[in-house]
Amino acid sequence: MGIQWTSDCAMINFSQRSVIALLCRVILGIILIYASIDKIVHPAEFAKAIGNYNVLPFGLENLLGIVLPILELLVGTCLVLGIMIDGAAIIAAGMMVVFIIAISQALFRGIDINCGCFKVTVENGGGHQVGIRRIIEDFIYLGMAFMVLSRGKRKWELYPKS
Amino acid sequence: MITRLPIGQIIVITITSIVLSLILNVIRPNGIPLLAKELAVAEEIEYDSATEPRILAITLDQALDLYQKGTIFVDAREPEYYQEGHIRGALNFPFFLELAFKLDSLQGKNAPLVIYCSGDECGSSEDLAYELQNEGFSNLLVFKGGWTAWESNGHPTVP
Repeated sequence: MGIQWTSDCAMINFSQRSVIALLCRVILGIILIYASIDKIVHPAEFAKAIGNYNVLPFGLENLLGIVLPILELLVGTCLVLGIMIDGAAIIAAGMMVVFIIAISQALFRGIDINCGCFKVTVENGGGHQVGIRRIIEDFIYLGMAFMVLSRGKRKWELYPKS
Repeated sequence: MITRLPIGQIIVITITSIVLSLILNVIRPNGIPLLAKELAVAEEIEYDSATEPRILAITLDQALDLYQKGTIFVDAREPEYYQEGHIRGALNFPFFLELAFKLDSLQGKNAPLVIYCSGDECGSSEDLAYELQNEGFSNLLVFKGGWTAWESNGHPTVP
């Protein structure tokens, strides 16, 4: 009985898991692409937003402000199209961990700053402040990245095929 | 679950991003320098006379000196913090254009202007200074100690 139950469960899970992983992959990809656009358009503002976290030395916020949005865009595109999904999902997970740490330390130190998460321009009330909600969101995205990494069969992927 | 780390893929994606972003930064008109520069600190003497557009960081003593000379102070924090307490006479507008218009009509764009936020670690005063510079304001002084330094030294506040 126990064995029967396990195998049924595994069978249902197998196809369901592929679909869930596909959904996670595409949604996470779209979120990353969406998050990258405003940062790519406004590099100076995004670099300032990173600088406000007060975690990077030597003015490195500019370098990160230049590279990070393009990395987000590329990782998002890879996830949506199904190219190098494992690498893209691991980078996405790594970014989420870094974001969670950065936002947490800002909250912990009590500095009230613009998050720089989706919108980086602050005029007319755009952009979000750092807060618990951002951290919860990032944990959800992190979970989605792990769903992608733990997908079973490699279906609907362009490259690599196996 | 994947069994081994796809190091090759990670490297390919990362290197491609770095190369693409650096090329984009060079060819685009609003590219930024690779390393950010700290705000220059105002010299003892010349911080209240502007010769060319600049944004300078000032200390508490310099801020107090300017305050006593009647320089306009701008509170860059969110309105709710401003309501809780601010430097006496400081301006705070939720909308940037409203602030820029008000400042321009009060004293023009070349008069000194002190901007502050909660303390040393907040960035909104510097952000606002850059936005005002884009609007043509030329003599912007960021008071680094901000509200915390001002209040703890017992200088004039509201309420």
